[in-house]
This record gives sequence, structure tokens and C-alpha cells, in this order.
Amino acid sequence: MGQDKIVGAIEIGTSKVIVLVAEIIGGKSLNIIGESHATASGMRKGQIISLREVSDCTHKAIAEAEKSSGAQIDSAYLAISGAHLQGFYDSGVATVSSASGIVTESDIRRARENAKMRNLPPGRVYLHHECCGFLLDGRRVADPVGMVGEKVETGYWHIHGDERLTADHIHVVNGIGLNVDCMVVSAIASASVAAGDEEKKNGVLVIDIGAGTTDYALYRFGTILRTGVVPIGGDHVTNDLAIGLRMNARYAESVKLRFGKGVLDITDKNDTVMLIGDLTIGDRPIPRLAIDKIVHARIEELFMIVKNQLGSDLGPQNVPSGVILTGGTARLPHICDAAQEVLGVPARLADSPQWVSDPQLCVPEYSTALGLLSEGFATLRASYREAASKKWYSRLSGIFGK
Amino acid sequence: MDNEELSQAFPGLDDKRLRVKIIGVGGAGGNAVDRIKLDDLGQVALAVVNTDTKSMASSPIQEKLLVGRSITRGLSTGGEAEIGRKAAEEDAALIEKMVDGVDLVFLLAGLGGGTGSGCAPVVAKAASKSGALVLAFVTMPFTREGERRRKQAEDALSELRQCCDAVIALPNDMLLQQIDEKATVLEAFAIADEWVSRGVKAIWGMLFQSGMINVDFATLRAAFRYRGGKTLFGLGCGEGEDCVKKALADLELCPLLHLPDYKYAKADSLILNICGGPNLAMSQVNEIMDAVCEKFGSRQNTVLGAVIDGAMRDAIRITVIGTTDVSGAGQGQRPSATRPAMQTAPNAHSSAPAADQARRLDERASQHEFNFQNGEERGFFDATETNLYNGEDLDVPTFLRRGIRVQLQ
Repeated sequence: MGQDKIVGAIEIGTSKVIVLVAEIIGGKSLNIIGESHATASGMRKGQIISLREVSDCTHKAIAEAEKSSGAQIDSAYLAISGAHLQGFYDSGVATVSSASGIVTESDIRRARENAKMRNLPPGRVYLHHECCGFLLDGRRVADPVGMVGEKVETGYWHIHGDERLTADHIHVVNGIGLNVDCMVVSAIASASVAAGDEEKKNGVLVIDIGAGTTDYALYRFGTILRTGVVPIGGDHVTNDLAIGLRMNARYAESVKLRFGKGVLDITDKNDTVMLIGDLTIGDRPIPRLAIDKIVHARIEELFMIVKNQLGSDLGPQNVPSGVILTGGTARLPHICDAAQEVLGVPARLADSPQWVSDPQLCVPEYSTALGLLSEGFATLRASYREAASKKWYSRLSGIFGK
Repeated sequence: MDNEELSQAFPGLDDKRLRVKIIGVGGAGGNAVDRIKLDDLGQVALAVVNTDTKSMASSPIQEKLLVGRSITRGLSTGGEAEIGRKAAEEDAALIEKMVDGVDLVFLLAGLGGGTGSGCAPVVAKAASKSGALVLAFVTMPFTREGERRRKQAEDALSELRQCCDAVIALPNDMLLQQIDEKATVLEAFAIADEWVSRGVKAIWGMLFQSGMINVDFATLRAAFRYRGGKTLFGLGCGEGEDCVKKALADLELCPLLHLPDYKYAKADSLILNICGGPNLAMSQVNEIMDAVCEKFGSRQNTVLGAVIDGAMRDAIRITVIGTTDVSGAGQGQRPSATRPAMQTAPNAHSSAPAADQARRLDERASQHEFNFQNGEERGFFDATETNLYNGEDLDVPTFLRRGIRVQLQ
């Protein structure tokens, strides 16, 4: 089996479809060789509302990406988000079977199987089982194999989604004749590149605020503790402005981009800005404070919901590395201040991963697509290592029943 | 119209006169009626329906109807819409008597509480059954009042839409935007009442006030022939030299016209009332007519009323009330020119192109069952699942739900 391969990372976002084409050489190195993005239509809050429109713009983006790279994509990695994604924690326990008390691979396997026992209600499908580490007799250990103990326990953060909506997503990509090799929830994809290994070990919360959804992932001890989706994003800010300032969505979007900020700025009190700014008919002055109030209320509420969902998992002692923001809406000025104020931990914007050299890709909008590549590549490498005999491309079975 | 003016001049011709009754249901409805009474509406009968003896006793209205005495013992419903409904149904005979022979009923209520949500639909049904034109002005509770009241209010609203000729829902969240940050609770509610009373006055004025262009009752009835849909309602005021421009700009900014419900909608039937001083010119009326028709409907289906108010000098008040045809039942009545007019009308203020709007209207006509079940449309996030979190719809702007006041001037 050849180990050279062209993969496409596809993120069908609410505002943009992003496709990255990468070349995997010898199953070891990954080079980005093509890129394209298209305005998404038919998407709201991370979910497909018009399969036809979404297919059209996705296929267009895929074709353009292939053209820009001069290569044909063999298989695709696909990101998924939306309010239908849910997660829960479950752990599995196994008694160490050997007389000497030394933990073996088979003990671990039993513990893992126990952790994945729970059946989902009809219509739901597992997307990820993220291992949260091991406990040996109640002690946290990185790798218990070979250690001595009585009981080994492993915890998982299980992520599941709506079967039909997930199938729709895959269907869009299949429509152009591409197989989906691996599916990654957006929260994990963007978090995997936005935070460094050291930060993941210490504890860090990555929040990716897109146009339609906000995806977050909490890391500690180098593994994912939990993830979540809040179906609020930049579109909501725009819609709020359109209603509050009484203008259409196009102007509201432009006002958001030009004047929006995440905090209430008292110096804006008597300041006004022009709606369009070119003195055409319908142009009118808008108090900056009005813009600030509307945007701040929405952003503050968004972080408040994240905070409530994480509950006691969020706190300075659990996330010493703070909060990292990424995604298109992270471009909003002062959004870190707003995050810090609500979440109570220091917040900063994500750096681009060092392995990406193209400055065009070093923007917060691309973190999910880049993460998708790196996650997909990591899965690929892991499966190479695991067993050469096993078919590494478990394809959809890998997603549905890993 | 002459007949009505005649009958106004000669009170002896009472039985021939158009009978109009304003009925307030529940505490909030009763207060709104009180306020209108103070505003002096002339020969219009006022009435209140309530379950609470105490608040009834303090109301200066002549005609009072206490319902459900055996159920609530005159001690209100405790916020339970089901009790309010039972109370009204128990005294259905009294309610029927109250609306008997009335031609036009204005129903005022605050939805969310027990009496307003429970009784109002019963009163509306009775009035409609007796043949009256029923126009309801209702306020929707603040988001802060909680999930249960919101649910009760929404249920009552969708029920009212089925049995009234027009239902104008005024969200309190939105009305709060209109007042000062330091305003008291009483002032906040007074604002809601003020909006209601202006709407009532506008229609009343077209029928009874002396004016340049009056509207007779049959025309009014025809304008409200579409049931079940959203009623568009907007107000605009302007003073001084540029009063027409100012009034139109004010109307443009009317928060009620920027609710997601109306954002993309053009009304299938529109009532435009212009109230001005004695110096109101025909050219001004035409200018307003053109601007309003372009934005909200078309000339063919707009009913125009222009009224002179001696007290107003260099000031103009515009009121727009429109209904949409969601059932498709009125298809035959609709002038065939409506659709093309909508498609070609340049509309700088809509976010979607005109063709898109027409498509939306088409969809609405074909999806009426969906509309009936769901009640509210949600603008930009229309096609998505509701975004409920702790009983609040997250797609509704945060500043509205939290009552944060945004000042535009």
C-alpha cells in the first residue's frame, strides 16, 4: 500500500467553506500544497439548512483547491459542528488480571471496552471517544502498562451527534466523489493547533468563535477533558445589531467589522459614527455606545454560557494556562478582555502553529481547517504504528465505532 | 361616512350608529383602557373584564365584568392561564352579552398573566362570533418574567391570531428600549399603554375624526380580511418644517418594524393613517403615501386615511397597520398586480433582494400550516431549530432579553 497520499481538510463553516490540500509523504511528513475558500450558503449555526446550496459551494471550493494545488484529493478529512453535538464522561474499570499485579495491555483493553459500553439512544451516533487518561488505584498515571497495581481505570469524553445531520455532512462531500477518511468535531480540531503541548498539559480552554457556533475544548494533563458547542457566533452579533440599530444585515455586518468591540468603552460615550460613511441617502449617525452595548451584551452572554456549561471544571487552578480564543469572531477588538472578565482566567488570542509558513493561513479563521489536517494526520500515523496488517483506513467505521 | 358623522351630530340616532367598544382584559388590559379613557376618545364604549375584584374596584370604567366568581372568588387567577380560561368560559353568557351588537371591538390585554392569557381568547371568540371586527392589541411579557409566562403568552397569542381580525403584539422587551434608563416601572408600563392607545386612536380617527380622507367601516373590514398572520404595526412622528421627512425617518426607526417577524415582510393589506394639523397639505399626504407603500406594500391594497387634528401644528403622525395573507384563502381577493409590484419595487432597506422577498412570501403562503403551529417567525434564524437555553431563545438579541437600553439618538 502506498504511503503517499493527497488529503483534503474540509471545513464547512457557517460563513465560509475552507478546503486545504496537503500531501502526505511516506506517511511521515505533511505539506500544505493548496488552499481555497468560498462563501458558504445554506448554513446556519453550523448546521445545514439547504443541502443543495451547501453542496454547491462546497464542491466549488473543493474544485478550486484542487486546481490551486495541481493535484487530486484522494480522501477527505471533515470537520463537524452544530448544536446537535453532545458529550458525556464515562469511565471503565478493570481488575489487574496477572498474579504479579503488573498491568498488561489486555487489562487496559478491558477497561477501555468497559468505558465504551454505553449505548446511545436511537438516532445518535458516536463521533469521538477522547481518552482522558488513566488512574491506577486512584493515582493518575500517563501509561500504566508495566506498573504494579490492583485496579486500572480509564475515563473517556464521549462525543455524539445526530445521525441524520452527521450523514448529511458526509453526504455533501461524497457528492463530489470523495471519501471521508476521518471526521473531527470542530472544537477538537481548532483546539489541537491553537494550544501548545505544554499548555494542554497544564490545563487550557480553547474557544473557537465562528460565524454560527462557538466550539470549545478544555484540556488538562495533555488530554481533552470536555468539549462543547454553543450555537452562537458572529452572525448573532450581526443580527442583534441589525435589530437594535434598525438596519439591514449587510450594513450591520459592516458596522460590526468597523466599529464592534467586546467591551463597553466609556470613552465612546458621546461619539457617533456614520452608518455607511459616504453621505449617500439613508446614511445616518449611530452612537458608538449603542454599538458597544449590543455587541458587549451578546459577547458577555456567550462567555457566560460557556462558563455555566463548564461549571467547576473552569477555574484558575484547573486552567493555569488560561483561555485561548480563535475563530473569525476572535478578531473582534477587546474580545479577550470580555473573556477574561466573565471567565475569570487570563485570555489571549491563539498563535498560528509553527509548521504553517503561509501567512495567508495564519489567521484565526483557519485554525479549524489546520487542526483538521494535523488531527487527521496524527490519527493516520497512529494507525500506521498500531498495525501494518490492519487496514488503516477504517473510513467511516472508524468514526462510528472506534 | 356622511351617515356616521350625521349620527354623531345627532345622538338621538343612536341605534344607527357604528358601535365601537374597547375591552380591556385582565389587569394590564384594564389599565390600558383607563389610559385611553383619559385621552378622550369620544363616543366609544369602554369595558373591562377581570377576575380580580380589587383591581376592578379601582378602575373608573363604567362597564365592568367580573368573571369566574365561583372559581376564583374574585381573587384573581394567580397567574394561571387555565384558570383564567375557565373563569371566562363559566361566564360566557355575560361576555356574549357584552359584545352583542358591537361592530368594532378593540381588545386590549397584557399576555403572560392568568386573566389576560386565559380570558382574552374567549372574549375574542365571542366577539368574532357575534359578527364584530376584532382588533387586539396585546403586550408580550419581558423575558425576565420567565419561561412560564412567555409560554402562556405565546399560546394565547397564537390562539388570538386565529380568532381576531388583527393582532398587534407589542413585546415589552422592545418597548423598554423606548424609555429612559431612570424610568420607573410605572412609566415603563405607561409607554406600552401609550403605544396601544395610539394604535386604537389611529383606527378610531379614520372612522370618526373630521378629516380630508375618511374611511368607512366596510373598507376597514375589508382591509382586515386576512386572518391568522402577523399584523405589522408602526408609528412615526415628526414636527417642524421638515415634518414629513422627520415622521418618515421616525417610522423607519420604529422598533416594532424591526422585529424579526416583519423584517422581510410586505403586507398584503395595509392601512395608512396620517394625522396632521389644519395646514396638512395634499402633497404631503401623497409623499407619505408613496414612501410607505414602497416599503410596506403596494398602492392597490393600501387604505389611506388622513385626519386633521386641530391641536397639532406643523406636526405629523403616521400610523401603519398591515396584515399578511398566510392562509392563501384570500388569494382571489388579492389584486393581481401585487406580486409584480413587489418584485420591481426598489427597496434599499431590505437585506434580501426583492426577488428573494417574493420567494419568501410564496413560501409563506405554501407553508401556512407550519406557521400556524410555530407561531413566531425568527427572521435570520428562521429555518433553524430554536436555540433554547434556560428557557430563553438565544437567537433573540441579548440586549432585548436583558432589557439593556440602546439609545439611537
